Amino acid sequence: VTGQAFIALLPELISTGFLILVLMAGVFSDSNAGVAAGLAALGTLAVFGSAALLLATGFSGSYFGGGFVVDGFALYFKLIVAGSAFFAVLAAARWSGQTGDAPEYLTLILSVVLGSTLLVSMRDLFGVFLAIELATIPSYAMVAFDRSRRESAEGGMKYLITGVIASSVLLYGIVLIYGVSGSAMLQDVADTFSGNLTPVAVLGLVLMISGFAFKLSAAPFHFWTPDAYQGAPTSAAAFLSVGPKAATFAILLRILLEGMPDAAPTWTAVMAFLAIITMFVGNLFALRQRNVRRMLAYSSVAHSGYILAAFAAIQGGGVAFAVQAVLIYTAAYAIMNMGAFLVIDLVGEDTKSYNGIVRTNPGVAASMALFMAALVGIPPLSGFFGKLWIIIAGAQSGSVLVYIVVGALVVNTVLSVPYYFGIIRNMIFEEPTTDTARAKGSGAVRFCVYVLAVLTTLFGLIIIPLSALVRASGLV
Amino acid sequence: VITTITILIPLLGAILMLLLPDGERLVRYAALGVATVPLVLAVYIYFAFGDDLGIAALTQDVTWIRSLNIGYRVGLGGLGFGMFFLSTFLTVIAVLASWDVRNNLKQYFAALFVAEVGMLGVFAAQDLILFYVFFEVTLIPMYLLVGVWGDENRRPAAIKFFIYTFLGSTVMLAGFLAFGILADTYAMNDLGGGGGLSRTAQIAVAAPILFGLLVKVPAVPLHSWLLDVYVSSPTSTNVLLSGVLPKLGTYGLIAVAIPLLPQGVEPFLPYVAAFGVINIIYGAFVAFLQPDLKALVAYSSIGTLGFILLGAASGNAVGLNGAVFQQVSHGLYSALLFILVGIIAARTGTRRIEDLGGLAARMPWAGGLLALGALAAMGLPGLAVFVSEFMSIMGVYATFPVQGVLAALGIILSAMYLLYMLARVIFGPIERPAYEEIGDAGPAEMASVVPLAVLLLVLGIFPALLIGIQRPAVDAVLSVIGGS
Repeated sequence: VTGQAFIALLPELISTGFLILVLMAGVFSDSNAGVAAGLAALGTLAVFGSAALLLATGFSGSYFGGGFVVDGFALYFKLIVAGSAFFAVLAAARWSGQTGDAPEYLTLILSVVLGSTLLVSMRDLFGVFLAIELATIPSYAMVAFDRSRRESAEGGMKYLITGVIASSVLLYGIVLIYGVSGSAMLQDVADTFSGNLTPVAVLGLVLMISGFAFKLSAAPFHFWTPDAYQGAPTSAAAFLSVGPKAATFAILLRILLEGMPDAAPTWTAVMAFLAIITMFVGNLFALRQRNVRRMLAYSSVAHSGYILAAFAAIQGGGVAFAVQAVLIYTAAYAIMNMGAFLVIDLVGEDTKSYNGIVRTNPGVAASMALFMAALVGIPPLSGFFGKLWIIIAGAQSGSVLVYIVVGALVVNTVLSVPYYFGIIRNMIFEEPTTDTARAKGSGAVRFCVYVLAVLTTLFGLIIIPLSALVRASGLV
Repeated sequence: VITTITILIPLLGAILMLLLPDGERLVRYAALGVATVPLVLAVYIYFAFGDDLGIAALTQDVTWIRSLNIGYRVGLGGLGFGMFFLSTFLTVIAVLASWDVRNNLKQYFAALFVAEVGMLGVFAAQDLILFYVFFEVTLIPMYLLVGVWGDENRRPAAIKFFIYTFLGSTVMLAGFLAFGILADTYAMNDLGGGGGLSRTAQIAVAAPILFGLLVKVPAVPLHSWLLDVYVSSPTSTNVLLSGVLPKLGTYGLIAVAIPLLPQGVEPFLPYVAAFGVINIIYGAFVAFLQPDLKALVAYSSIGTLGFILLGAASGNAVGLNGAVFQQVSHGLYSALLFILVGIIAARTGTRRIEDLGGLAARMPWAGGLLALGALAAMGLPGLAVFVSEFMSIMGVYATFPVQGVLAALGIILSAMYLLYMLARVIFGPIERPAYEEIGDAGPAEMASVVPLAVLLLVLGIFPALLIGIQRPAVDAVLSVIGGS
């Protein structure tokens, strides 16, 4: 291990350090939730800063026998993970203090950060598995952390069981791929996955993608999502639906592009079908929900479908744009979805509690309206740009199947209008009722919501540096 | 730069509105002040640069998304300037005509100004994606204007409006993207004449674009979202809803679809002309059957939009000039009629035609202007609508004689229902004793209608004021499509 490797591992080392500090804060005193939250927030900022620094200096290289890589692509996703974790920590600060276990909860967030930042740098399939587990196992505990609500334990349990099954499927797929190629390194796997695929290799690929589909809540492997997100503390649902998910999309992208580029016709076809099913399932179920958490959970299923549509477009002339689309979309989605989830802390999870809040709480109502419109994809808000990239990539792919996927994406965009705008309708058109929430939640949550609303609105400007960053990320 | 400033001032105005302290007079005057600035700038542009606008002048080109070759490209051309000016003008009128809005006035004006940003942007955009973005920017404020401040039926109307037009514009976006990808740029001035696409590709691209634009107009089989929205809106929203919004569609047809995809649009032109005829005749018949004065005006407005489609489809100088002109004159007369309906409904408490009657005796000014508006709608010479409808029919007759003759027939039909309406509403005996008490339109109301009437007259007598500006741009379009 050289000095270079320490620099390469800076984000991971920093998150490990702060993880220990936050845990210690809990050991040495019972009443320092504030200190723990401050440390955790500082830690996520430090991770963000170190990743940004590495990106700015153009640092890149691969370490530990090629199993760990630092490049623009990995650093980009480290930024998303750390950034979303920062907002999650702020949003969780007061709530976790009230549970009396703030240091433990914040430690869990930081371990998910550690796992996710490691994950996006992996070039070794077993490393991938370990990093995924490092990110996922704390997240089971995060979902089940709210002991005041029964749904939390139930959601955590369901998430745990399905998650463990998913992990074993994923591991089985990885082992089969390893068995065929004799190495778990992506560049060696790539040699095996060229020419005609053996049945075992195809089985490995399918099992591995199924495992990822579980983790990404792609239909038909999505059924844990609504229960887990409904039960989870708001900050956990907000964070898990964007940060680790973005990292999982990233590593899937890396495995497919670096590990099996020649098998692209096979996996783009699988992705196309997954994308279509996932979009429709997510939106059709979201239409029926009366609970905002469940609605947003199904909405996150739908958005996984949109991102998978970008995966399907990785062919023909669409390769570069499709990869860029995944990067842009996950960033846009992180901002708007995180904001939408955090509003639940301020208003409530029943759609009725949104009635007329424009009169009692105009700032929050305006922010939520922006998040909803952005999730639909209305320009010039953030979601529009993600969809723009996906559609452009799809159009350039030159494949009829992908055209169908893009068509399904357009149809689903219109299909999603009623449920997102149902919230806007309740907030603005309905009269306040006794169900209407009074202003609640902490100032920190309010701060996060406003900042995220501003970022959502100004995404048209953010896209200028972001698209330059994405172009330079260099995976293809 | 002056173009960008004009587009952005309403946005600043919207923020200013939200920051103002409460106080109805203050808010109304501030809104009027904000609305006047873009109008003044537009008038300044007219006198300073009007003769040199050509296809696009006063341009600005800033790279926005480099990897997709999308830019913030704006500029004012002869095709768009008329509507650019009319948007600023009608926003002032809408502010003046907002007496029926009493709740949440600040938010109302803020939404109005955000809508104005979108409208001005569309008429100035020189980039397909930017065009689409501005096109959609109008959507949410309009949705709120109808949904929050409309009548009791406002919510279903607002959501219907939103879903229909969002569907249309999403399909249109798909067309734009396909076009931009095939041509490798979204800059309109690089795309003239098809951007190097083959005829088949142009047709494939033009179909979704035309669909989206025709939903926005709306052309008749695609119009089912319209009636509820028009009838449910507050008066001042109607001014923009009928005066400007349909023109986002027709302007897209004239300034984007036809010059950029000449071969792709060409096979569709007979159908566009046929849609125009259907609009005119269907609008006239259905207007005839409406018991509600506002619904009658709404259908009349759909009907005369048909002339824009006709002129646009004609492919010759007379027709295209007529279509571009009709966009403006339609905006003037429909805004005038909607405001007058609002005034009458506020006085009498009803919009049912059979309950009204003899209003001319009690409100001579409003009644007289209603007559003027109705006469304008049926194309009376001396008013702006006559010039543009006449040119559109002349133009289309040269290309599609059948549609031309049918459209001329439509004018007779429209004269029928409009005269019938006038006879019932303003002439004849006073229908109800209560109407003896009502007074004429007040100063504020007059201030909102008289400028419209004056402009209708001025443009009717001196059409060259507008045609002089649009002709170079129309000639440029003609040279692309090979018409005369």
